[in-house]
Amino acid sequence: MSDAFVHTVSLMGTVVTFEVVGHGGDRQERIEREAGVERALEWFHRVSDCCSRFDERSEVRRLSAQIGVSVPVSDMLFEAVRFALAVAEESGGAFDPTVGLRMEALGFDREYRSGRVVRTALPLEPGVSYRDVRLDPELKTITLDAPLVLDLGAVAKGLAIDMAARELTPFEDFAIDAGGDLFFGGHNLEGAPWSVGIRHPRDEHELIETLNVSDVAVCTSGDYERRSPAAEAGHHILDPRSGDSAAALASVTVIAPAAMVADALSTAAFVLGPVKGLELLERHGVEGLMMTPALERFTTASYRREVLRFAQDDHAVRTT
Amino acid sequence: MGTESGTNRKLSKNLVALGTAAVLTVYAAGFVRTRSASQRFAAEAAERRPGTATLSVSDAQPATPTGETLRPQAPARQAARAQSAPESLRVADSARAAAATPALVAPAAQPAMTTTTTPAPAPDPVPTPARDSSSSASSSPKADTAAHEPVKERAQWKDGSYTGWGTSRHGDIEAGVEIDGGRIVAAYISQCRTRYSCSWISHLPPQVVTRQSPNVDYVSGATQSTNAFYYAVVEALAKAK
Repeated sequence: MSDAFVHTVSLMGTVVTFEVVGHGGDRQERIEREAGVERALEWFHRVSDCCSRFDERSEVRRLSAQIGVSVPVSDMLFEAVRFALAVAEESGGAFDPTVGLRMEALGFDREYRSGRVVRTALPLEPGVSYRDVRLDPELKTITLDAPLVLDLGAVAKGLAIDMAARELTPFEDFAIDAGGDLFFGGHNLEGAPWSVGIRHPRDEHELIETLNVSDVAVCTSGDYERRSPAAEAGHHILDPRSGDSAAALASVTVIAPAAMVADALSTAAFVLGPVKGLELLERHGVEGLMMTPALERFTTASYRREVLRFAQDDHAVRTT
Repeated sequence: MGTESGTNRKLSKNLVALGTAAVLTVYAAGFVRTRSASQRFAAEAAERRPGTATLSVSDAQPATPTGETLRPQAPARQAARAQSAPESLRVADSARAAAATPALVAPAAQPAMTTTTTPAPAPDPVPTPARDSSSSASSSPKADTAAHEPVKERAQWKDGSYTGWGTSRHGDIEAGVEIDGGRIVAAYISQCRTRYSCSWISHLPPQVVTRQSPNVDYVSGATQSTNAFYYAVVEALAKAK
């Protein structure tokens, strides 16, 4: 009879739950299971120290204190920014990590849940975009060519989940839930694929879908999550091209092999809207479900409710 | 994406490929440090510093505060543990228990980073000086009880001023001690590089003088800072030997 170890903690501005199934046969196994969760948890702290906009001393904020300087950075920050910029380019700027200052100006200057406040003493210049960030992969430096603050929110949370997932991979059957962005390994306590519900964007007691998944990440972006304290009708997902909250969709869920990918692409697709957003998801071989404010549903062509691992080469979705 | 040298093949623009490659790179880069970090934080999370001025050094595993303690707990440790609330809970095996309570003790200046923390005893010996508070009551060969243990440091310090650094996940603290006539006559925080104010631990330096040792009390809600201060004092005193 299997058991599960569940550990819930508040961090990175959200509530994170780790669940590891099995491996609880004897005391030594249980100790190692806990140690694995502890290591997984530790990754969240490291990602936060590196990439959090709300931590004054984070590595990413130190970039904004050295505008125009080529700053040597850690692998973690380099890869996170490189990936964020790739998504920016692929989405034509609908996703853009350079929106940090604008978000502060709109009142998104405090970390959700923890309330940590941060303000940057930089002028808000028009026309600043992801093109103002330069990377040198040989020297591993990042240069901000204009005053800006990088907001790595979507990428960082997904990255933390992916790190934690790698840490728990030896345990085979596990789940990581970071405030609605999830990664599932193997099977649940009943030996079946993990069951995950997608929240209805307008009715918090309803689900618009239930998925059964294994070895994939599921990330959702919604307009109902964080309202702007400053802008009246605004929420926290800005369209960087206009500066306003993106309004074409109420909810986007992406299923992908990695949480960093699912997280960033759900945000990008959210801004792009149902047509161009679906195009982006299809082009990169991930699955997605979207809902408009009028509650119309859109899905990628091979979207299924059962997703049991992605085949890397052709991105086909294997179903039972 | 700016000046990125290297491949511009169509394949490299696939975001799933890029993303999964990035994940592997970051994991590999951090793997070794995470291992030792988890052991160190497991040691910190367990009560390895006694609340009173006993000196009991042990290389043994830190005890978990659950039914799985490796060594019996002396009553004084229980009281000390009760003070540091965040480290004392553990989510039970079996049924899902959503025990997320973000609020920590009092100050708004201390946002809750962890709530129910389960210290994971490291299977390997902990490399940092794991001062297991419970070992003084145990049969560990290296443990000494308070009654028999002389306070070793007193004879060993040379006069002068010394500083040391202690680190924690919230930042670093530099502490200084002044030794005169072989005794600690002053202790202070010389640099507070933690993200949270050091006012929470400002009452600890005088304890170093009173107790003639680095064994200061825990401060509930400021565990990381107290540990950093403790290690800083340990390092400073080590230089005075």
